[in-house]
Amino acid sequence: MTAAGRALAAALLALAGAARADEIKPGSTFLSPEMQRQQQDQSRNPGYLWVEQGEELFSRRDGVSPTCISCHADPKQSLRGAAARYPQVDAASGKLVNLEGRIEQCRVDRQKQPAFGYESQDLLGLTAYVASLSKGMPLSVSAEGAAKPFYEAGKAFYERRQGQLNLACTQCHDGLVGQKLRGDTISYGIGTGYPAYRLEWNGLGSLHRRLRACSLGVRATQFDYGSDDYLALELYLAVRARDLPMEAPGLRR
Amino acid sequence: MSSPISPACVHPEPALSRREVMAVGAAGLALGALPAPARAAAPPALAELVARITEGAVPERGRITFDIPQLVENGNSVDVAIQVESPMTDADHVRWIHIIAEKNPFPDVARFHLGPRSGRAEIRATLRLATSQKVAAIAALSGGGYVIADADIVVTLSACIDGG
Amino acid sequence: MASFNARITMPAEAKAGEVVEVRVLVRHPMDRGGQVDAEGRVVPRKILNRLTVTYAGEPVFRYDMHTGVSANPFVSFTTRAIETGELSFEWREDGGATFTRTARLVVT
Repeated sequence: MTAAGRALAAALLALAGAARADEIKPGSTFLSPEMQRQQQDQSRNPGYLWVEQGEELFSRRDGVSPTCISCHADPKQSLRGAAARYPQVDAASGKLVNLEGRIEQCRVDRQKQPAFGYESQDLLGLTAYVASLSKGMPLSVSAEGAAKPFYEAGKAFYERRQGQLNLACTQCHDGLVGQKLRGDTISYGIGTGYPAYRLEWNGLGSLHRRLRACSLGVRATQFDYGSDDYLALELYLAVRARDLPMEAPGLRR
Repeated sequence: MSSPISPACVHPEPALSRREVMAVGAAGLALGALPAPARAAAPPALAELVARITEGAVPERGRITFDIPQLVENGNSVDVAIQVESPMTDADHVRWIHIIAEKNPFPDVARFHLGPRSGRAEIRATLRLATSQKVAAIAALSGGGYVIADADIVVTLSACIDGG
Repeated sequence: MASFNARITMPAEAKAGEVVEVRVLVRHPMDRGGQVDAEGRVVPRKILNRLTVTYAGEPVFRYDMHTGVSANPFVSFTTRAIETGELSFEWREDGGATFTRTARLVVT
């Protein structure tokens, strides 16, 4: 039995405890030094192609009124840190919304335009652009008050065994961090690099796309993009990552 | 379909042993096919692919550096850097650099055309590699000669099934 | 298709004779052809097959790309600063479409 196999067996026997907050490291920690440099290099990280698209959309007119920038003037200042506070509970509806959801809400309610659709290139571009404005800022989502039930649901999701493989998120993403899995290195369960450019995808994708890949990997139900289950999980992951720097657009294998 | 975290899927990073095997194989073939001294110990398949672009000339080794990871993290995007020692003058420069991946479905991967205006013969690019194989960079010199450097690389397939 | 974005990174100015590095990152799926998409259709080959760069009208670099070039390809090359002028980048896609961008280099 290989070392990784023994570690896996050990983790399966004893349900791994969640990593302590001060142990959790950003996803980029588990990249090669070369990929770490590339993530930081705006001339080299392909995620910035989507950031650039989002920046163009942010001030584009072609009949859309108001544009994003007519409300959010000087976004480099006015929206700095905004993405680090998502997901959050929308005061009007009482629903949990992530950054993608907030952008769609603006699009539909304020701009009176049809929603872009989750995982559309336009929404990915705008999300990547707004997230990039918080690059390096510490995550600061709330798990209190109205957010508390969502946080509890997300935590329960993370710790619940699921799928044909009967695995909980925490078993790999706390218990086996640093081990190799199919040519990649298992990292802590957080999403500070998303939306991220994954070499496997040949493109930029959302955190929910990444979560769907994990769900499929353990042969569990794949929830819809923007589903309540993944939103609650996203909130829990963001609370775990509190005070870690925003990395989006991240570069991942 | 095996489970995605079975020990069989945890790669033990066999880079070194694989390279040793390939080096022995290549040396054996070269010894059998060519009288000593072999100028470029490339396996026949690659040698043929090279000969096609050099009009039969056998490129020399040296003066060209080919940086490519020996263990590729994901074959979808592989960083390469090529550097040729050349004054890059009108009289003496690199005309082009060509990359061959012998086991790609289409082995001719890319060609970079340079000239005296380039100042230096230095290129970086991102390639797509189908599998573990030998990859070669061949430079055509203004004087009519060619230089070659090659590398055996292992592609660690990131084979996590992705439904999203 | 997704929007065509090109990120060209190079110094805005250089001394005459200096060799400058030009980095080009471009958004393109580089479909190599033959894969089957989610609807069961075979994706035809569609790649950027050539990038040509001229500097003040003179060709200085050309990149012939085949199916073994990555999606969203990156390339870096060098050119000697000769005179103030525009570097013009033209990509040619399978089927004949072209995309162009320019960047100015001031030579002191």
